[in-house]
Amino acid sequence: MVNLTVDNKQVTVPKDATIYDAAKSAGIKIPILCHDKKLHPFGGCRMCLVEVEQMKGRLIPACTTPVTEGMIVRTSNDEIIKARKLVLELLLLKHPIDCPVCDAAGDCDLQNLTYEYKVNCNQFVDEKFNHEIDYVNPIIERDMNRCILCGKCARICDEIVSYGAYSVINRGLEAKIGTEFDGPLNCEFCGSCVSVCPVGALISRPFKFQARWWALSKVKTVCSYCGTGCQLTLGCKDNKVLTTVYDEDQGFHNGQLCHRGRFAYQFVNSDKRLTTPLIRKNGKLVESSWDEALALVTERLAAAKAAPASLAALSTAHLTNEELFLFEKLFRGTLGSDNIDHSAGFAHAALTEGLKASFGTVASPSEILDVQKTNLLLVIKTDAYETHPVIGFEINLGVKRKGVDLRIVSDKRGKLGKLPGAQTTVHTPGSEILLLNALAKVIVDAGLADAAAPGLAELKAALAEVSVEKAAAATGVSADEITKLAKDYAAAEKALILLPIGLGYPGHNAALAQACANLAILTGKYGKEGSGLLVMGEKNNSQGAADLGIHPKGSGLNGSAIIDACVSGQVKTLFVAGENPVVSYPNRAKVEKALDAVEFLVVADLFLTETAQLADVVLPAVSFAEKSGTFTSVGRKVQQVKQAVKPVGLAKSDFDILNTLNASLGGQTYANQNELFAEIAASVPAYAGLSQTALGDEGKLLPVAPSAKLVPVAAPASAPVAGKLALVTGSALYHSGTMSRFGEGPMLVCPNAYAELSAADAKVLKIEDGDAITVKSETGSVSVTAKVGYRMPQGVVFAPYHFGEGSINAVTDGKPVTWVTVGK
Amino acid sequence: MSNAPAAEELQTEEEIDLTEANEVIDKYLTLPGNLMPVLQGIQEAYGYVPKPAIALVAERLNAYPAQIYGVLTFYAQFHLKPRGRFIIRVCVGTACHVQGAERITETFFDRLKIGHAETTADLRYTFEKVACLGACGMAPLAMVNDDTFGKMTVQKVDEIINTYNARPMK
Repeated sequence: MVNLTVDNKQVTVPKDATIYDAAKSAGIKIPILCHDKKLHPFGGCRMCLVEVEQMKGRLIPACTTPVTEGMIVRTSNDEIIKARKLVLELLLLKHPIDCPVCDAAGDCDLQNLTYEYKVNCNQFVDEKFNHEIDYVNPIIERDMNRCILCGKCARICDEIVSYGAYSVINRGLEAKIGTEFDGPLNCEFCGSCVSVCPVGALISRPFKFQARWWALSKVKTVCSYCGTGCQLTLGCKDNKVLTTVYDEDQGFHNGQLCHRGRFAYQFVNSDKRLTTPLIRKNGKLVESSWDEALALVTERLAAAKAAPASLAALSTAHLTNEELFLFEKLFRGTLGSDNIDHSAGFAHAALTEGLKASFGTVASPSEILDVQKTNLLLVIKTDAYETHPVIGFEINLGVKRKGVDLRIVSDKRGKLGKLPGAQTTVHTPGSEILLLNALAKVIVDAGLADAAAPGLAELKAALAEVSVEKAAAATGVSADEITKLAKDYAAAEKALILLPIGLGYPGHNAALAQACANLAILTGKYGKEGSGLLVMGEKNNSQGAADLGIHPKGSGLNGSAIIDACVSGQVKTLFVAGENPVVSYPNRAKVEKALDAVEFLVVADLFLTETAQLADVVLPAVSFAEKSGTFTSVGRKVQQVKQAVKPVGLAKSDFDILNTLNASLGGQTYANQNELFAEIAASVPAYAGLSQTALGDEGKLLPVAPSAKLVPVAAPASAPVAGKLALVTGSALYHSGTMSRFGEGPMLVCPNAYAELSAADAKVLKIEDGDAITVKSETGSVSVTAKVGYRMPQGVVFAPYHFGEGSINAVTDGKPVTWVTVGK
Repeated sequence: MSNAPAAEELQTEEEIDLTEANEVIDKYLTLPGNLMPVLQGIQEAYGYVPKPAIALVAERLNAYPAQIYGVLTFYAQFHLKPRGRFIIRVCVGTACHVQGAERITETFFDRLKIGHAETTADLRYTFEKVACLGACGMAPLAMVNDDTFGKMTVQKVDEIINTYNARPMK
């Protein structure tokens, strides 16, 4: 620690702190334009000039100067103020000062500092810039006339996003922030650059001219897309969510968001939202009152109570913990059916069955912060970046700043593989478990296994049948590469495995989670900081749904079995809360047949989804912005969701809907969600003793106590089918589940279903990028747009599952790999 | 839209044989800080830095195309368009200016039908005004590649053009 004096205050800070950090810790504000706490110090704008007693004769930039013992710093005096005024005058010389029409006004660092330093005239005169404004892309408007060249956009895109869309181009007075060949911006559109821009040079087009910054009410809540659990500030006005507001102090991610978090909020106030209940009369869904709709649902559920096996309920993991808990109480408790599930049954199995067997708990024995604390990071599928982009940023930071050794085991290449030193092991589709078993085999054979690992003997016996050479032949990865990866993993002091799961990944099941867990347990790499296994749930509350037991516990049917039972006529009444199985479950034709066959289908959702269109009763539910409660994110962090706007139309929260139904069917009534939260804390062991007040703004990371056991897993046979391509499904970077289709950003950037194939396959099939192609399997066929990319190995096709039109689940059947033919 | 720039996607209408560019990259691949020598080597091979070569360098050196473009536009030594076989440079520094450099540049413009920093359609000449060539005693001064012409006159402009018109393009 270093002691210094800042404005006559004694400050003690770590030795790697800068003068700016030291002042900040003492509550002294030094003005900055180019500095950002998330980025490497830059020292470009000279606003933070201060005086240091020991370095008199010139002013010192506070943001780049490290503290030294005994330093005496003055952050303001006449000379400093004069220097800062000069900086502002020079910036304002070229700046258009078009604040009345600038969206940044009110939140503009240049505007605020100009006001603070009373720069009301300029001693210089010069022409303004006349740069062309980039209106080409639909998301980010770039007006380089307003730019002050702080470089934060270029630096965040490089340092954290690792996309590198911008650079300072040209030189001297002509220097500006530009893209390659000074063309229009075409990137991931995460909007990190917009969030850090201190002026209005980069603004969000969907929010342009929507509201003045100071007129927005800002509500802190949690994003409702993926399981990362990013904290979010919603900017609301007139009972509408108009934007997301950047707050660099929010969450582990310091306010960083991905495309869907930042630009896909519009579903909340979409004009497609359901505003009244609908009842099917004479084959058509017609508007009804809540009383009529709920009376009908109550009557049918009451009738089903007599034969609980004929009743089933599917939920989405988008609901709050309180709602999921009530969902379980209603269907399992009050109505006595064990046929309850979410995510098709397979997309949560890695947690509910996999980790349950391997670690004795349904939560990962690691947390997101471990990503930057580990030495070796083994990512199963490069898609981890697409499914959880903000965890992807953590990976970028870990590799680039902390020297994390990144290894990717994947069926295709991806952005993560471009990080410095990253090694991608591309294997044949569906051979993940075989590959992981081979890694375990190498570790055991090389004597690197922890002799005390529970279940070692059984695993050894099971691995006796595994041959690294045979695995090499079947996975397409050389024996040497397998051996090296296994030995590197075992040799790393700390190693973390990331496994994304979700509806697009039927192969990421219990067995794969166990095969991953086996590596960690074999080498004792769990239960310590920076080591372990992080199973990344797909939805914002996938972890909560697993914790609260939204899956069959006894002889009940799981999600896929419920669909089959609807077809066979065993299930006659189906309640669907927010799930959209028609699009998101495998084998769309079968799901549609099942929902047609079921006698009474109730769907509670925000939109008239493909599933809701088949319902007998549709109940309008509300989004995360219209309700309060808690979500549990990856790594089991419980965070508070806060209501930002009033429900749209007559829509009610799932809590209200389920509460009313539960009461009228003989169950308990709850006055509010808090009562349910208290009950969760009292009855769910993992949440024991938790209180809503203790969650605060930061949320609470629940401790996970793993009791490890090696579980032998058999690798499924995955032989290629001659003349066919291997179709693997998954997530597109811009989308999450089926709800992001109702957000503006994702639909502007990635509106249509596509299938990605290798240049080599495209050449053989005479397919060009952008062609309409048909993907056909034994299950069905679908027309999508071809995307010819560098990512795919020959013989493999990738398609995201989010889309209703061109739904890839029309050809899938729930297996990890679907063999397809592709043609024009 | 892909989630990362791919070499194939950045390739444009320009058809260029990238063999030489690949050789330059091979030569410096393991050298730390290899971007500058690679770009210089490519410029030496092609006379300028072709667009497809930028995509290739980005892919092989794992650098962002935008950053490479930033480097290329920062240094005056790099050129993004094909350059002439003969680079005519006329000094317009103080000494040359007072000795009538403007008449010399105007005459070149007139004869070659190109302006400053432009190249003739047949790729024979590129014309550049430069601030000083460091030989003020010979003002006004012109250079063609490495050949120097002092005490320039309007007549000499035609002589120079005739001389270099007769030279082979390769």
